[in-house]
Formats: sequence, structure tokens, C-alpha cells
Amino acid sequence: MKDTSLGLYLHIPFCLQKCNYCDFCSFPAQGEETKHAYVQALCRELEESAIKAADYTVDTVFFGGGTPTCLSTADLVALCDHIRRHYRLACDVEWTSEANPATVDEGKLRAMREAGINRISLGMQSANENELALLGRVHRPPDVYASVEALHKVGFQNWSLDLMFGIPAQTAESFAHSLDEAIALAPTHISAYSLQIEEGTPFYRERDALPLPDEDTEAAMAALLYQKMAKAGYHRYEISNFARPGFESRHNLRYWRMRDYLGFGITAHSCFAHERFYNREGLADYIRDPLGAREREETLTPATREYETVMLGLRLSAGIDDDTFATTFGYGFFEKYGARLAPFLAAGLARREGKKTCLTADGMALSNAILAEILED
Amino acid sequence: MTDKQQHIRNFSIIAHIDHGKSTLADRILELTRTVEEHEMENRVLDNMDLERERGITIKARAVRLSYRAQNGEDYIFNLIDTPGHVDFNYEVSRSLKACDGALLVVDATQGVEAQTLANAYLAIDSDLEIIPVINKIDLPSADIERARNEVEDVIGIPAEGCPAVSAKTGLNIADMMEKIVSDIPAPSGDPEAPLRCLIFDSYYDSYLGVVVCLRVIDGSLSTGQRIRLMSNGAEFDVVDVGVLEPFGLKSTGSLCAGEVGYLTASIKNVAETRVGDTVTTAEGGATEPLPGFREARPMVYAGIYPADGARYGDLRDALEKLQLNDAALSFEPETSVALGFGFRCGFLGLLHMEIIEERLEREFNLDLITTAPSVIYKIKKRGGETVFIENPSNYPVADEIDVAEEPVVKASLITPTEFIGGIMDLCQDRRGEYHDMKYLDANRAELHYTLPLNEIIYDFFDALKSRSKGYASLDYDFDGYRPSKLVKLDFLLNGDPVDALSFIVHEEKAYTRARRIAEKLKENIPRQLFEIPIQAAIGSKIIARETVKAMRKDVLAKCYGGDITRKKKLLEKQKEGKKKMRKLGSVEVTPEAFMAVLKLDDE
Repeated sequence: MKDTSLGLYLHIPFCLQKCNYCDFCSFPAQGEETKHAYVQALCRELEESAIKAADYTVDTVFFGGGTPTCLSTADLVALCDHIRRHYRLACDVEWTSEANPATVDEGKLRAMREAGINRISLGMQSANENELALLGRVHRPPDVYASVEALHKVGFQNWSLDLMFGIPAQTAESFAHSLDEAIALAPTHISAYSLQIEEGTPFYRERDALPLPDEDTEAAMAALLYQKMAKAGYHRYEISNFARPGFESRHNLRYWRMRDYLGFGITAHSCFAHERFYNREGLADYIRDPLGAREREETLTPATREYETVMLGLRLSAGIDDDTFATTFGYGFFEKYGARLAPFLAAGLARREGKKTCLTADGMALSNAILAEILED
Repeated sequence: MTDKQQHIRNFSIIAHIDHGKSTLADRILELTRTVEEHEMENRVLDNMDLERERGITIKARAVRLSYRAQNGEDYIFNLIDTPGHVDFNYEVSRSLKACDGALLVVDATQGVEAQTLANAYLAIDSDLEIIPVINKIDLPSADIERARNEVEDVIGIPAEGCPAVSAKTGLNIADMMEKIVSDIPAPSGDPEAPLRCLIFDSYYDSYLGVVVCLRVIDGSLSTGQRIRLMSNGAEFDVVDVGVLEPFGLKSTGSLCAGEVGYLTASIKNVAETRVGDTVTTAEGGATEPLPGFREARPMVYAGIYPADGARYGDLRDALEKLQLNDAALSFEPETSVALGFGFRCGFLGLLHMEIIEERLEREFNLDLITTAPSVIYKIKKRGGETVFIENPSNYPVADEIDVAEEPVVKASLITPTEFIGGIMDLCQDRRGEYHDMKYLDANRAELHYTLPLNEIIYDFFDALKSRSKGYASLDYDFDGYRPSKLVKLDFLLNGDPVDALSFIVHEEKAYTRARRIAEKLKENIPRQLFEIPIQAAIGSKIIARETVKAMRKDVLAKCYGGDITRKKKLLEKQKEGKKKMRKLGSVEVTPEAFMAVLKLDDE
């Protein structure tokens, strides 16, 4: 049976100030007119794509950035209304917006909730002032507590905190403190990413001088993370994501399960009907002609779909199920990859449960290296 | 002696590196007005980049110059260049045999060095008239008297009234030129006797074939003659005969006794025209060859592999091209489990090896992996059979060996006296057998040792330089084989032996060497998905071990925002990186890491 569910991603490329590690497309300190014009362009693009989504039910929406909460309340609400007007939303739609602790207040959150947004992902990153400063974040620890209080007041029940580890000068102790603080705030979901030094960022330019934790320290931080998450009742459902049961990010699961999503705004990626496409960078061009930014990326052949299914499927704790795999590709996952996985199974880096194959915690820490071994060229 | 002979002077310049040989040659060329000054930028005698960079001359060449002496008569000077390194001792001796005299250049600030001494002895052995030339007298620290005394005391030749010059400023060079005319004998040799020419160099030219550089000792050589090489009996028809001018060959049609020049005869391979061989006529030729011919035999062997296995063919072509001009270079295909297809190459010595490596990389744009150099071991097996082993992988198991022998050299080291202690420790540590020590003057001494060659090729030069602040010099000569307690040291990664890392070492050195290499392996092998045990073994006995810890965490690219293509590209990049790795057993190592392990630095 054809899957007729759909996810929408809207990229909001604005923020108060660019963080030192950020390589996402985002423009700090833009005027209100530019942001307004961008929202109008987004609306045009949404309208244009509505036709091809006519037979689909949208069950996840995600506002990412940048900082979506940089938009004015009026623009945010208008954008939400536009989505409702042109797309059929599932009654239990998961509608997430990323938010920066320094950019939300109770009034804006209330308006967002009333406009349909029902999940907030708050970029906490760290509970330590010096680490936030080093990352170039605009917020400070008290902003996080204030934002969470506002979330509660407004009535958001489903919200996530983002944390980071492997930050320059971070120690296992300071990371433990951040974890404890995050858990104490009792979100439904926690993401914890290890910092990556991406080209074109201030961190990349200073990379040789950064006091980055070594591999063993980072591994110790990761171990601490898994331990504390498990103890606090957050289960790890993806390499970097933890949730209370039932609160996994359905939108992100779409990416990992290779289900359809449409992306809107500059640099947003789409995967729809076995086609991958995206919008080019270039804010002014997009505002002028939002429909002209689209670029084809690739058509997913059975071989690339298989490659991606394995690459993404092994990120998930649920792993890859032989039967589901066979429905798409005609043979069981383990039938084909079992021999290549054998040394990893033996070494405790991968695990087999019935018809399901997944990586263990140790294996997830090495997923790239393992994938490089088992995937075909 | 003919009148022509009377006006020929064949000589060479003997000098230690940096003592000013090239500059002095420049001045001679200037004074003979053979080369205009503006052309002097490029020194004529050295014509390889590599040589110029290293300040050494690798292959002998000669140049013919005209000089009008103060007596008004015109002379022909044949300046024959000599290679300046111990690896090319035999070639030096043949070049000297083509001369009647030599200028012995001594740096007025440094005095006599080991290499100078070794070559001076070679010159004395060849009965050459030696004119000491004290150079660099323009420098404030020059001590002409000390240098003269050293020449007399150390080398034992009179130096009273010898020219003291500055090749740099040209001071007293004119006197030296007159000295060449007056002191160096004109070439003797019978122009009417059967032809005998001494080959002192040959090189391959893609148009002419092999160009043989030679000195006519007796008789005369001319175009059209049928000649025979006396060592191998090969015969050729002479296509061209001429002299070696500063900027190339100049055909003359014939060369008489005493002259230096070249011949071409459509010869395809320099291996046929070995240095030291005698050229005679095919009919009515000489019966006795000139004495001293010896085939240049490789002393040091190493495996050379392309870093990129696909370039094996390019490496073979490059080696073939180099061999066209270098009969001393030998190579044979070899396969290594660890490194794939490559060649086992034989060299005269370490410098020769370095030169070949550099030329392969520079002129042929190849990235190479070179195994640790090895000498040739002589193994008497229990069955009575004797084998020569140049590749450690072929070393017999201990049970099969009756007596193992290794090559030794007679080494002469000259050092400022303050470093004697350190150098004696070094030689002791390298299993040297002390013979004697001689004080050259109040400040310097010459030490004589017998040293195993495999200790010298390991890192002896670097150690010597670091212990003497660069002042000590070394010269050595092959001195046969000695029984020795040798063992083969193997390295195992993850339990699999890595053939390219095996080497032969003296029993007493095995433990330290094993530990050091195991540590280097640990430092250089990147962490992998599994723990990698590193073991060093003699036979089945493990004598050192290290462990590369398993990788614990790789870069967990965040994977949201839906940009799956980017994630895929990152993964592909990681896989590309893997492809560049060399599989050593089940362990992946970058070529760079492999080279780092094999690099013989000073501990």
C-alpha cells in the first residue's frame, strides 16, 4: 500500500548571531522587512507545491534554522495559517519549531501554540556559561530556565532540549552537569550531538588551536550520556536522540526511514516520490523568485535506496528488519549483509534480535567506520 | 712521446664536499677561456639538479680545455671529475686511473677530511703526481701553514710551496695553472702499440646510444674501427670519436695515446660498457687488459614499491630508464603480501639508494614506499649449500643455518678530538672492532674500525653527525664476510606477519630494535574498529609487544535537516580514504604511516 503521509520542513535562515560552529545557512541580524519578504516567498513556494501534495496527509511539520523564533510573531502565525490553508494536516500532526532560549517569550510561544505548533526544540547546548560563550551562543543558562518556564505556562507538553558534547575545553564533569540540568528540566526528548568542526566556520579557521577533547574523553562523555539517559528513562532511539516512550521525533524519523518530505526555503532538501531535490542558497534570489531556486539532486534508484536504507536504518535502535527490507528489495537484509557484519556481531558492535539487526551502543559510536566496511561502492 | 702528448695534462680535483671543488673548476674553466664568465652560472661539470642541490658530483665526467701557458705554448687540459662519495669508491679509482696527476684541495679553515684522505690514498696508489692546493685562504679563519703541515704529516706528500689560493676570489689561481703544466707529467703511453682505452664513465643518449668516456692509454682510436670490450668480449663498430667539450661532444674522428674523449658505437646499454673495462681493437688488439677492472656490485638492497599499486608499470619504466645510465643499479620484480608488486633494487650504498629514490620521485613523479635497506648475508646451510640473501623474507629458518655471515667494512673516521669519546661509543654500540687511532694534529684524530655494513646502513651517518656536531667524516671499504649471530626479526599485526617489515639484525640488537619499531608502529597505525596487537618475533618467540587500542568513537555526522546526499558524500569520502590504505594483514595503514615506521631516524 502506498504511503500517503508527508512531512514538511521549513528553513528559516535568520538568527541573532551566527554561532562559531554553525554551518547551516543562516543570516544574522536581518531587518524585519527582509524576514517578512522571506516568509511571503515561503508562502508562495508552499502554495506551488500544494498541488503535488494533494493526495497526501501531512503528519509532521518542522520549522528549522537558523532560529525560526527570530521571525516576528505575526509572520510565524501567518506562515502556520498558510500551511493549514493549503495542506491537509493529520489530526495528530507533530508540529515542531526550533527555538533559541534568548528569542522566545511567553507571548510569542502562546501565539505559536495557538497557530498549531505543538512541539518545541530548544537549543540549550550546555548548562555552562563559559561553554556557551565559547560556542558563540547568544543565550546564557538562565535563559534556558526562563524559556522552559514559559513553555510550561503556555502549555507545551512535548518539547526537546539539544545538547552538545566535545566542545573545546569541555570536561566529562562539565558535560555531566549539563546532562543533569537538562534531565532536571524534564523534557520529553533530548538530542545530544558531538560537536563537529565544519569547513567555513570560525571553529574551522581556529581548529588547530582549539582545545578539543581527545577521542577517549569524548568516548567517556558519550558513555556518561547513555548512562544518564537510561537512568532518567530516556531511551535511545537514534544515534544522537533520546526520548520518553512515545515522544520520539516523528519528523526526524521520516528522514531515517526514507519517507517523503518536502523542504521549503533556501537550502531546504526534499525527498518526494524517489526524487531528491533542494533549493539553492541565495536569500535575495529566493525572495525574488522562490520557485526558481529549486535544483534536482538525484533520482533514487533501487541501488541508492538500498544504500540509504542501510546507512540510515543502522542509525536507529530499531535497526533494520529483514522482512520490511525484503518487501522493498526482494531479499532480507541479513541475507545480504550478514557475512560483512559477522566481525562486528562477534565484537559486540552489532546485534541481532530475531529478524532485526542493529548496532549496539559501542557500534553506534563507530557507525561511519562500520558503514564504510559494509556498504558497497 | 709525441709532441702532442707533451702538451696534454690529464688531471682531476680531489676535495671533500664543500671544500670548493666546483668553484675551483669554475676558475680553471675561466682561465682557460673555455667558458665565458656569464656562462659560469651553470657549472659545467655537474649537470644534474640533484647533484647541484647536494653539492656533490654523482657521476664522473670530463671536460677538455685549452690553456696558453706563460711559456707561450698551448696545452690541452683534460679535467676529469670524480664522484665524491664513499659509495662510488671504485668509480673514483677508475677516474683517477685515467689521470696523470691530481689537485688535492684542502680547505685552509678545515684541514684534511676522511674523504679527502681516502681519495688521496687512491691517487697515490694510482701513482699520480699530486699537487696540494690550499683553498679558501680569503677566509679570516684560514690557516695555510696548518693545512700544509697536515698534508705533509697526514698524507705524507710534500706541500712546501704548494699553491695557496682562493677559488672564490681567483687569488693565485694563475700560479696553480702553471703548476699543472710544470708538475703534472704528460701522458706516457705508446701511440704505436695495440689500442688500449680505459673506460671511466658512460652514459646513455637517446640519439647516440651509449656514449663511452675514455682515456686512450696506448695506440689510437678512430671512427670506423671495430672494437672489443675486453671484460665481456662484446664487439662494436665505432660510429664516432671525439673530445668532451664543456658544452657537449665535439667529433674529431680519432684520439691518440694520452688523449681523453668519447666514442659512440650504437651501444644499447651502459651495462655493456662497465667502468674500468679496457677497449681494444677487435683485430690485432691488446692481449692484456688494463689492470683493476671490477664489476660494480650492489652492496645494499631495498624493496621499492609504488604507493599507488596502479603505477607499478610506471615504476618499472622509470627504473629501466635510470638503469640506462647507471649500470650499478639492479632491480628485479618482487611481490610483498603487504605492499603488492614492486622491485627489489640493489645499490652501491645508501647515498646511491637515496639518489635513485629521489630521482624516481622527482623526475618520474612517483610516490614510493621503500622498505628498510638490507645488506647481502652469506648463509652456509646445514646441507653444505651456501646462499646469499638480500631480501629478509628469504632468510632461512634458524634450524637450516649452519653459519651466518655478514659483510663488514674497514672504516676510517676523522673527527675533532673532542668528539672521539662519543664516536668510539657509537662504534662500540654498532659492534665495531677497534684497530687504531692516529692524531692528525693537535685537534683531530683518525680512527680505524671494522664495522658490520648492516650497522652502517641503519642510521650510522645520522648518529655520527649528531655526535660530532657534523664535523666527523667517514670513509669505508668492503672487507669481506664475517660469521655473526644474526636473527630474523618479524613483525606481526593482529597475528599476521607483515613481510615488508622483517629484517635481519644481530642477536644483541634484536630486543631494542624490536621494541623501537613496535612503538613506532603503535604511534603510526590509526585506531581501527578492533584492537590491534603488535608483536615482534624471532621465529616463534615473541620479544616485544604493543597494542593499538580500538577506535571508540568516530565523527557522528549529525543527520537531520533532510540533507541525506551530503551524509552519503561524507561516507563516500571516508570510503575513499580507506582505499588509499595499505592492508598489512588485516590492518589498514596509510602509506605515510608505513614510511614513518621504516624511516631510520636517530634514537
